[in-house]
Amino acid sequence: MFRKTLFAASLALAGTAAAQAATMEDVERSFYPYKDGVPTVDGLTPGTVLNAGNVDQFKEALDPALYQHVKDGWVEITVGETTSFDLHPNYVQATRDSLGKVSLGDSLGQINGFVAGRPFPEEPSMDDPRAGEKLAWNYRYGYNWGDNAAIYPFYWRYRDMDSGKVERTIKFNFHFLNYMHRVNQPPVPEFEDNPSELFRAIYVQVLEPFDVKNTQLLIHRHDDDQVADNTWLYLGFQRRVRRLASGQITDSFLGSDLMIEDFEGYNGRLSDMNWSYKGTENILLPFYNHNNMELATDLEDREGYQFVDFGGKGGCFPEISWQLRKVYVLESDPVDDNHPISKRVHYVDAQTFTLPRTLTYDRKGDLWKSWTIGQAHPDHHLPKNKGTGVSIDDAFSMIDVQASHCTTGQFKGQVDPELNPVKLFSVQNMRATGR
Amino acid sequence: MKNNVKRLAVATSTALLAAVAAQGISAQERWDTAGFVENATFYRDGFGLSKSRNTAQFEFSKEFGKKMGLSNFRVSGTLRATYDAVYDLNDDEWGDGAGGPRSFQNFGSTTAQALFGGNGDSPWGSSILGNAGAAAGNPIPPGFLFDVAGNPNEGLKVLGEDFHGPNGGVTIGVPVRPCDDDSRGCNLDDYMDFDTNDLRYPDFNDQLDFIRELYVEGSIPTGTMSELFLRIGKQQVVWGRTDLFRVLDIINPVDYQRHNIYDELEDIRIPQWMATAEYRFGAIGGFDDLNFQAVWNFDQFRPNNLGQGGGPYNILDAASFFRAMNNCWDNGCTVSNFVPAAAIGLTDDPGLLAADFAPGVIGIRDVDLPDWELGNTQGGVKLEGVYKSVGFSLNYYHYFQQLPVLRGGIPATNAFTGEVGVWDHLIAFDVNFPEVDLFGGSLDFYVDPIKSVFRVEAAYTQGEEIQNTLDPQLYSETDMFRWVLGWDRNTFIPFLNKTRAFLISAQVFGEHVLDHELEQRPLGVAGMPNWEDNYIATLLIKGWYKSDTISPQVIMAWDYEAGAGTIAPSVDWLISDNWRLLVGFNIKVGDDMADQSFDDCRTCNPFPPFTATPAHADPFQSGSVGLSGIEPLGRFRAGPLGSASQEDEFQVTLRYRF
Repeated sequence: MFRKTLFAASLALAGTAAAQAATMEDVERSFYPYKDGVPTVDGLTPGTVLNAGNVDQFKEALDPALYQHVKDGWVEITVGETTSFDLHPNYVQATRDSLGKVSLGDSLGQINGFVAGRPFPEEPSMDDPRAGEKLAWNYRYGYNWGDNAAIYPFYWRYRDMDSGKVERTIKFNFHFLNYMHRVNQPPVPEFEDNPSELFRAIYVQVLEPFDVKNTQLLIHRHDDDQVADNTWLYLGFQRRVRRLASGQITDSFLGSDLMIEDFEGYNGRLSDMNWSYKGTENILLPFYNHNNMELATDLEDREGYQFVDFGGKGGCFPEISWQLRKVYVLESDPVDDNHPISKRVHYVDAQTFTLPRTLTYDRKGDLWKSWTIGQAHPDHHLPKNKGTGVSIDDAFSMIDVQASHCTTGQFKGQVDPELNPVKLFSVQNMRATGR
Repeated sequence: MKNNVKRLAVATSTALLAAVAAQGISAQERWDTAGFVENATFYRDGFGLSKSRNTAQFEFSKEFGKKMGLSNFRVSGTLRATYDAVYDLNDDEWGDGAGGPRSFQNFGSTTAQALFGGNGDSPWGSSILGNAGAAAGNPIPPGFLFDVAGNPNEGLKVLGEDFHGPNGGVTIGVPVRPCDDDSRGCNLDDYMDFDTNDLRYPDFNDQLDFIRELYVEGSIPTGTMSELFLRIGKQQVVWGRTDLFRVLDIINPVDYQRHNIYDELEDIRIPQWMATAEYRFGAIGGFDDLNFQAVWNFDQFRPNNLGQGGGPYNILDAASFFRAMNNCWDNGCTVSNFVPAAAIGLTDDPGLLAADFAPGVIGIRDVDLPDWELGNTQGGVKLEGVYKSVGFSLNYYHYFQQLPVLRGGIPATNAFTGEVGVWDHLIAFDVNFPEVDLFGGSLDFYVDPIKSVFRVEAAYTQGEEIQNTLDPQLYSETDMFRWVLGWDRNTFIPFLNKTRAFLISAQVFGEHVLDHELEQRPLGVAGMPNWEDNYIATLLIKGWYKSDTISPQVIMAWDYEAGAGTIAPSVDWLISDNWRLLVGFNIKVGDDMADQSFDDCRTCNPFPPFTATPAHADPFQSGSVGLSGIEPLGRFRAGPLGSASQEDEFQVTLRYRF
C-alpha cells in the first residue's frame, strides 16, 4: 500500500507558514530534500519493473497519463534508486544571499528584489493563493541549463505510434544563454550590454534534413515578464529572417508534436498563464544516470557519445529508469481564451525545479499530450558535464494520445560556454549562419 | 575585360582555398554536404509542355576554425546543373519548330482585302507600303523595303499573338526559334541571344552560372559582443523583408526566365562576385543588436534575365518585343496597321496598312551593357539592428538599373528620304541600364493585441529611366518611390484543422512615379506608360497536416491598375525525408494585355512632314498625337500578371534530396 512520506506530511507545516519569510532551513530543504532519506512506496524498490500486470499496485506513484500508458501496455517502467541531483553550489548560495529579499509584485508576472538563485525556496502552501505563481518563478529562474548550455546535436524523430514508423528525423543544435541572474560563468551576475534587459535567449539551428536545413529560431525573453518575447525564424530557402507572431509559438514546431511553448516543459511568459499549486506528491520521474542506461546504437557521434534509446509502443518511450521523487503539482491555464489548450499539469521536480512530466489538455479538457523530459545526472554523462550541477535534459517524448503520434528527442547536452558565445544569440548571426 | 574579372574572381577563390589546404586540415573536420535532384514539369493550357526542367544541385560547406587571421574561417559553395527538356519535347512551341509564316493586319483596308483576300492580312514582307507595293510597280520610299530572302516569313509569331489580336494596332513579327536555329533578333551582344543549349542548360554559360555560389568567410573578434565579419566570393546578398516582389532586395539581379516571378528568389537571384564586410556591434547603446554592412559588387554588371523572345517564360513578353525590334533594325520588318491608306494616296481606302520597314529605320540597334571598370562596380551600405523590439534597417545602394530602358536619339535612316540622322520621336533605340541611387529602409515589429507581425519596406530611387512618348528620345529619368506593407498572422481555422494554425500573410506593394508625365493629345494620351501610382496585393494562406508532411497553400496576387491577378493553389507532399512532390496550378484571372493600350508612337511624326497626320497642328514638328494600341506599351500597363494572362498551368515537381 502506498504510504505518504515525511515529505508529503511536511506540506501541512508549510501551509501554515505560507505568509512567513523563507528561512535557511527552507533553502536546505529545497535543495537537498533527500538529505535525510528518500521517499518510499511499499513494494516499489529499485529494479522493480512496472507493467500492465502490476501497475494498479503502484497507481499513486504515477501521474495519471503514465499510469494509463503502463496499464495499456504501451511501456514498462523500470524503477531506479532515488538520488540527489545537487544543483551548483553558486546557485544555492545565490538563493541564500537573496533570502528575504524577493517578493511577488501586485500582478501576475511581477517580481521584486530578485537577483539570482531560487526566488521562493519555501515550501508551497495550499493556503497561499499565489503559491503556484511562486513555483512558476522558481522554474523560470531555475538552474535548468545553468548559465548556458547547448544540445549539440539534438535528434528529433516523428513517429507513428501505431505502426512504429519513423516518419521524419530532424537534427538540430539548441543553445541556451542567460543574460541575467547568472551565478557561475562570467560575467556574473549579468552581461553589461543588455539594453532591453533580456533574461534569456534560445537559439535553434536545423542541420538536417535538406528541406528544413538552415532553419533557425531565436527567442529573446525579457527579464520583465510582462514584455512579450521576441521570436525570429530564419528560413533557409528564403534567406530571410522573419519575425514570428506569438501564435506561432503555440503552433506545431516544424510539424512535430511540440509547440515552441512546450520547450523545456514550458517556454513562455508567466503572465501568459494562470498558475495553481495543486499539492505535493511523491511519484516516479524520469531521473537516471545516462551512462548506466542501455543506449542507442543507431546514431553516430564522432566523439563516441551514445544517445538514449527509445522503445515501447511505437518507439515513443525513452528506455531509461525512473526515480520516486518529490514533486509539486502545478497547473497552468492560459490567460488567452484562444490558446489551443485548456491547461497543462506540470509535475515539478522539487529539488531541481525541472519539469520532467507535463500533461496537456485540449480545449475540451481531454488529455491531449503526455510530455516527458528525461533528466540525467551531470556526473554520469559527458565528462565535461561532471560537476556542473545541472540536471541534464537528456531525452524527451511528446505523445499526442489523441492522434496516436509522438515526437521523441535524443540529446547530447553540453554545459560548455565555448558553444554558446553571446554573439550566437543575435538576429544578425542567423543571417550570417544561414548563408 | 569582363572575362578577366571572372578569371580574377575564380583565381582569388581558388587561391584562398589552396591557402587553406596548405595550412593543413584537421582529420576531424568534415565537409557538410547536401543536395537534390529534381524534375519540374509544367503543362500550359493551349501550349502543351512549358517546362520539363531537370535540376541537380550540390551544396557544400566546411569550417576550418582559425585560418588566415580569421576566426570561424569557412568555405561554402553551391553548384547547380539544369537541363530543361521542353525545348526538345515541345520543340514546335519553343524549339526549332516554333512559329511559322505570319500575316499582318491591314485594319479596314479595302485595298488590302482586294489584294490579299480573306481578312486582308498581308504576309510578312509583302506589305502594300513595302515589297508588295514595289512589286506592283508603285514608287515605294527606300525605307519601306527589306530583303525577304534574308529575312523570310518563317519561324515567326506576331508580337503578342498569344495574348491578343492586333485590334487595329501595331504589331511586329517576332522570330521565335532559338538563336542557333534563327539568328534574327539575336544581335544584341550577350543580351537575349540564347541558342538552344543556352536554353536547355542555362547554368552552363560564359558567366559560369553553374557555380551558384562559392565564397570564403570569417570573422575578426573585436570584443565580447562585437566582431568584423568578412565574406568574399560569388554569393547572394539579401536585403529586405518581402516575398515575391522586391523593394530593397535588389543587390543580385533576378533570372525571370526560370519561372517568371514564381520561383523562390533563392533559386532565381543571379549570384554575383562580391565582397561584404560587416561590423557587428552586438548590443550597444539602446540597441539590442546593431550591424553595419558594406557591400561591394565587383562583378561584371548583369541585368535581370527577362527571358528570350519566343521562350516559355518571358516576363512582360518584353524579350519578344526586343527581339522583334532588333530584327527590325538589322534586317527590316513588317509592322501592321502602321499607316492610314489615305496617307499614301489611297484616298478611297478608310483603313490602315501594314508597312515593311527597311533595316536601320526603326528598331533596337544595340545594347549598352556597362563595361567592367572600377567606376562601374556597384555597392552600398546598410545599417541594421533591433531597437526596442523593432527590427529596422537603413539602406543605400548604388547600382545599374536591372531592367532595361530603350533610349531613342540614335542615328537612323529617314524612311522617306534615305537620309541618316537623329530623328526625334523615332522608335529607334539602344538598350541602356542607367545608374541608380537607392535610399531605403525597413521595419518589422510585432503587435501583441492582434497577434500580428508587420513588415515595412520603402525605397526611394534617383536615376531610373522609363519610356516616355512625350520626350523626343522617348524615355526620361524619374525618381521612384516603392514601398511594401506586409502582415503575417498565424490563425486557427478550426473547421479545416483543429490542431495546427494556418499562416496568413498579406502584402501590399506600392509604386509611385514621382516625375510622371501624361498628357492628353488629340487622339489619346501620351507620356509614360507606367501607372503613376499602382498597387499589387498578395495573399498567402498556408496550412500543414500530418506532421507538416502535407502542406496545402494558395497564393493570390492582384495588380490593382492592371485589373489582373493570379491564383496559385498547390499541395506540397513530403513523402519522406528524401522525396518531395509538389502539385499545383497557376491560374490567371482578370484582365489581360488586350485590355490595355497606350500611345504606340505611330503618330509620333518622326520624319516630318512625311509622317504627319491631320492631327498634327504643325506637320513639320515631331511628336505624338496619341494614337494608341495594345502593342508595344500595353505590356507596361498590364504588368507581370496581366501580360501572362494566357499562362494557366498545371505544375508537378518531384524532388529527391540527399
